[in-house]
Amino acid sequence: MLEAVSSILKGIGSSAQTSDVTKVSPAVLQSAQSSAGFDGVMEQVAADAIGTLKAGEAASISSIQGKVSAQRVVEAVMSAEQTLQVAVAVRDKVVQAYQEVSRMAI
Amino acid sequence: MIDPLQASVQIASSGLEAQSDRLRIVSENLANANSTGRTPGADPYRRKTVTFASEMDRAAGVRVVKIKDLGLDRSPFRVEYEPNHPAAGQDGYVKLPNVNMLIEMADMRETNRSYEANLQVVKQTRSMVAMTIDLLKGA
Repeated sequence: MLEAVSSILKGIGSSAQTSDVTKVSPAVLQSAQSSAGFDGVMEQVAADAIGTLKAGEAASISSIQGKVSAQRVVEAVMSAEQTLQVAVAVRDKVVQAYQEVSRMAI
Repeated sequence: MIDPLQASVQIASSGLEAQSDRLRIVSENLANANSTGRTPGADPYRRKTVTFASEMDRAAGVRVVKIKDLGLDRSPFRVEYEPNHPAAGQDGYVKLPNVNMLIEMADMRETNRSYEANLQVVKQTRSMVAMTIDLLKGA
């Protein structure tokens, strides 16, 4: 369970850095398919989030090149923003759970 | 079926694009309000009209709005007596575009209002999503 959590954290953390996205997402996707239950779901969510963020970035780049309309860019970037906010909120919750487990009196 | 809130952003975005296209047509009409023909008796610029249609977006399962087709206004041209104009006919009358500034201005204002309405949907959706995500952050 804790290994799965840390792998999610890795996935979410690297989604903020563009260069690492491609390196992490295939691994996250693969393990999401193999493991079931809560961990698997979380990993799947992380992988989806990375995909949405990449779409937002791609739209921003195309807008700089003048290929897509401003409305499309705003739509894609807003979607990425929402996804990132959810990812961050969920990460905070997971970290909180992790800390509570580590603080448990044995 | 995607998240309804995300779907509403998508629908509003299609509305924004449709209204942008409409504004493009209005600006074409306004810019060409005095474009006459080149040869004697030739027809001048004919006012363009725009119609919208609801379209099913299969991927998202929602109905978005699209420009249906660009039509031409069939109303008669204005004529003005100006015999020395290159486009003047045999009788000395020049045909001018059937563009009415007042109609174009009203159309432009309506476009603006419609754009604002769609933008408001986006804003509202965004704040609703943010409020929901904030539930996770509390406590």
